[in-house]
Amino acid sequence: MSSLGLILIALVAIGVILTGLPAFVMLLIAASIGALAGLASGTFSVGVLGSVPQRLITLLESDILQALPLYLLMGALLNRLGLAEAIFRTGTTLMSPSRAAPMASSFLLGAMLGPMNGSVGASVLALSQTLGPRLVKAGVAPASREAIVAVASTLGVVVPPSLVLILLGDAMLTAHTIAINATGRSDRIVNTQDLLRGALAPAGLFILACLIVSWLIGRRIATADAQVQERSSSRDRFVAGLTVTFFVLLLGGVALGKFFAVEAAALGAVTMFIAASVAGKMRRGALGLLLSETIASTGALFAPLLAATTFTLILRLLGTDKLINDWVAALPGGETLAVISILGAIALAAFALDAFEIIFVAVPILAPPLLMRAPDAVWIGVLILLVLQMSFLLPPFGYALILARATLREPTKLFDVMRALAPFLVGQIAVLLLVIAVPQIVHLLDPPKPPPMVEPTLSKEELDARSKSITMPPPPPFGLPGLPPSLGGKP
Amino acid sequence: MIELIDRGIGALIAILKWAALVVALLLFVQWPLREWLQAYSREANDLGQWLFALFVAASVTAATRAHRHIAADGLARNYSAGTRRVIAAVGIVFGLLPWAMFVGWAGWPTVNRSVAVLERFQDTGNHGYFLVKVALLLLLVLIVLQAIVELIGKRTTAGPTA
Repeated sequence: MSSLGLILIALVAIGVILTGLPAFVMLLIAASIGALAGLASGTFSVGVLGSVPQRLITLLESDILQALPLYLLMGALLNRLGLAEAIFRTGTTLMSPSRAAPMASSFLLGAMLGPMNGSVGASVLALSQTLGPRLVKAGVAPASREAIVAVASTLGVVVPPSLVLILLGDAMLTAHTIAINATGRSDRIVNTQDLLRGALAPAGLFILACLIVSWLIGRRIATADAQVQERSSSRDRFVAGLTVTFFVLLLGGVALGKFFAVEAAALGAVTMFIAASVAGKMRRGALGLLLSETIASTGALFAPLLAATTFTLILRLLGTDKLINDWVAALPGGETLAVISILGAIALAAFALDAFEIIFVAVPILAPPLLMRAPDAVWIGVLILLVLQMSFLLPPFGYALILARATLREPTKLFDVMRALAPFLVGQIAVLLLVIAVPQIVHLLDPPKPPPMVEPTLSKEELDARSKSITMPPPPPFGLPGLPPSLGGKP
Repeated sequence: MIELIDRGIGALIAILKWAALVVALLLFVQWPLREWLQAYSREANDLGQWLFALFVAASVTAATRAHRHIAADGLARNYSAGTRRVIAAVGIVFGLLPWAMFVGWAGWPTVNRSVAVLERFQDTGNHGYFLVKVALLLLLVLIVLQAIVELIGKRTTAGPTA
């Protein structure tokens, strides 16, 4: 029956594309089929399935998942406050007269908004609205506009402290615990904070690559094509400076462990709410609409989580996890080849599923056996993020690319968009390969470890002398003074 | 009757959506309470926890009603409205309903026991933990009721992506 699980995974991937049903509904259909097959074949009993409610209750009381609605609320408030526009205008003004300024600002905005937008799809929608018309004004070619929006929308996958990172941190914690229990190793179990720190350097490198590519594209834009850019007002600059400083402090606080991701999200949401109220943006039902948006977005993220929790339990009961475990253990070659094989499977899954579904479905099944072979959980986690990001951009099925083209509706040919996207993809793949080749990159910001106990090097004579000094003298012939006879004292 | 159920679900979601603000506030204050006052932070956390559970319970149905569930429906957008309605109905009958009813049946004793003793939070002894378990039941009831509205009424589940 273990191979049935693989068929069910394929059913979910194909069913999601063919039916257009929400992924969580497809997961529940597959889980129902698996449960019926397992019961009918006697592989497991109804009693075992009784653990499903408790697993779901665990999700409802999860501390880390409380960050979800808070981030979504913060993102919605950010959009409502018009901060995105202020940041974009300020970035463009600061970098003018370079023609790359609007593109560079697009990536900085993507890096700020992405982590809070909830999903790549939501990022594409938000950035298309904000960036689309402004990139037209800047004289950026239609194919490049689609490429820029697609790339900027995926920044939320790798830039901490994103929702994707927080949820992956939780999934990796479970996977790492399983791997450690199975292997008997004594490693410290990875947590969300570790992943946040690990992702910072690769994310920074990729943003740098995007800025360099923007500068190169900017050099090719003819002066005649670029219209006069909107200049930022002093109010824009003040608001943008304040917002960026606030988010950097928030991110820094989480990365340095000053407060938890949930508290950072709460702090951000409350601050944004106060700012929006003071700015008069919360009048006449605006708050109600904002909260409706937040609760619906939360449900969109929670539904796949609930369904995947059920689905992965069915896969375990069918023995599919053991099957995959055996396959991973039997993979020839060393640690790196095993990592590349599993990342390839995740990349394929990303053509059909959003980041959250991959974290909820693929990571719990694939990560434990991988972590048994490759013990660096932070490295594996960051690689998963980078592979997800790459898959969302790869033509022709890349999720972000398809969505960006559908939303911007530019009259472009796929080949032109692929050409515009190519330099960004090269940068992304270069960062991915660099992290594969140099795993230490993800540990650059690790907190300093306590200094090891220094063992002085001693000569043989010194060692002999020390040995003699700590050797117990022979007991006196009449027993030890002051002790009772039973303990060797004088009778 | 269907309209009444529909309106009832809408009203409940409209109330519970405000929990997002309260949860944000509670989780925000737990930091100064813990660091400076060194008191009541666990109370704020526990209160936030059961409010969060109730918020999530309503959120899945809120996403369904707002057509916000994540779906790769690029291909399905080309299908006729009738085909999409049939596909949505298949999803409800073979996915949502069996799952919700099974979890409700299997989880009922757990929720029932918890409510009977008004279960408290294990670590702190604070009141309200039973509401986390009640939230599971609420989540399932809302999903089933919404499914009935979708099947009998005019709403459709297969909506655009989030």
